[in-house]
Amino acid sequence: MLLNMRVNGINYALDVNPRLRLLDVLREKLSLTGAKEGCGEGECGGCTIILDGLAVNSCLVLAHQAEGKEIITIEGLEKDGELDRLQQSFIDKGAVQCGYCTPGMLMSCKALLMKNPNPSNEEIKEAIEGNLCRCTGYIKIIDAVRAVADSKEGGN
Amino acid sequence: MEKWAFYSPQSLRELIEHLAEIHNPCFVAGGTDLMIKIRNYKIKPTTIVNLNRIHEMVYIRKEDEAIAIGAMTTFTQIAESPIVNRYARCLGQSAGNVGSKQIRNIATIGGNIANAAPCADSITSLMALGARVKTINIWGEIHEKPIDDVIIGREENNLDEKEVIIEIRIPTLEGGYSAFSKIGSRTAVTISKLNMAIVLSYNKADAAIECPKVAFGALGPKPFISDAVANSIKGKKFTYPVIDVIKPVLLKEVEASIAGRASFPYKREAIMGLAENTLNLLMDGIKEGGY
Ligand SMILES: Cc1cc2nc3c(=O)[nH]c(=O)nc-3n(C[C@H](O)[C@H](O)[C@H](O)COP(=O)(O)OP(=O)(O)OC[C@H]3O[C@@H](n4cnc5c(N)ncnc54)[C@H](O)[C@@H]3O)c2cc1C
Repeated sequence: MLLNMRVNGINYALDVNPRLRLLDVLREKLSLTGAKEGCGEGECGGCTIILDGLAVNSCLVLAHQAEGKEIITIEGLEKDGELDRLQQSFIDKGAVQCGYCTPGMLMSCKALLMKNPNPSNEEIKEAIEGNLCRCTGYIKIIDAVRAVADSKEGGN
Repeated sequence: MEKWAFYSPQSLRELIEHLAEIHNPCFVAGGTDLMIKIRNYKIKPTTIVNLNRIHEMVYIRKEDEAIAIGAMTTFTQIAESPIVNRYARCLGQSAGNVGSKQIRNIATIGGNIANAAPCADSITSLMALGARVKTINIWGEIHEKPIDDVIIGREENNLDEKEVIIEIRIPTLEGGYSAFSKIGSRTAVTISKLNMAIVLSYNKADAAIECPKVAFGALGPKPFISDAVANSIKGKKFTYPVIDVIKPVLLKEVEASIAGRASFPYKREAIMGLAENTLNLLMDGIKEGGY
């Protein structure tokens, strides 16, 4: 069955089995392996992507539910070989350790900044409440988002 | 693997026109309950009917004496709605406390009701608010029933196989206030272990509680209204320690609902703190002049 969607600025028309989840299509058909399958039940946030401007768990969305929608994955943040400022900030602040949660974490934070370029620390915490990280203790992640929001270019 | 058929109608009319021919439809809204049931083989669908392209099912409207919420409205939209937070604050609090950001961004109020989990956060508030559920069937007939009639037990609703929830209607009450709170099992992605909603009207002039409604969730197979707890606070003033009046009645309610269950010793204690939180939230609302 045909699925039309836009991923990282590129329009795709794919033949997709209705049983597949959005996560499966991104990883296996489009080779966008940044989104990770952790729990497969919406608890860990490893598969977080941005769907029409909102952070969602791609393991809970059927691929065909994304028909006509606009998706951004971690692979879409970098522009012309340059990391997004949020990605750079994660590196600078030591917000990446084992890295497994990082793509999902970044997408949750990116979705927040797209909507709210100057979030409070409370709002940052709320944005990542559905993303588990067992290494960093979250503080450095919050620092990384804070640094981008407070920079002179702003959070956007 | 068995093949699935997948159907995405783009309007209610299109849905109704096709529903008659679809054998055993499995509706998907946000998918946050359904995908997990499919994953655990609790549901084995053959035809998926996706509701997320029916944009006319997404709205929050203030009408004369009610607010109307489309069944496909997400918890993010409900939690952020000024209308909900003005006229049905407890529902806004329920919505804002569901799961995580990612869950709230896709989980719908219609799905929460249809799934009918004992711990479904919106249902407790909707019960206390006296909400009604509007559905449509394959003949295009619209029915409206109290939410208490739609949910009949643990993960059991009384919708026909091809009946779809289209709207939730909440009566608005002049001088009304409400609050919801829950105790979850984790710090963030919290499925309720216990939740509670209070709705009442409170006339500042004589400052006595009128028309109280109290509902509990995750205290038995389905959320329910407790007349006993409501009656215990009726006519009381907030200057009076309302929590002390409520406590013995709460204990009786927990005994009546789950005595003998493994969770009884825990919930018997936990409900006291929950009630205190909910009352405090309600009083904050009164101070702020919200509903
Ligand atoms: C990690 C996680 C955390 C969660 N936390 C909470 C929480 O804190 N509180 C809480 O209450 N819930 C929670 N949930 C459960 C779930 O998110 C909610 O119950 C949600 O509201 C379900 O809505 P949905 O749109 O995703 O429904 P779906 O999964 O799409 O559907 C659920 C069921 O309802 C049926 N259905 C859906 N819409 C309609 C309709 N309009 N008419 C008729 N039938 C319909 C479907 O066929 C299906 O059987 C959580 C889930 C996850 C995965």
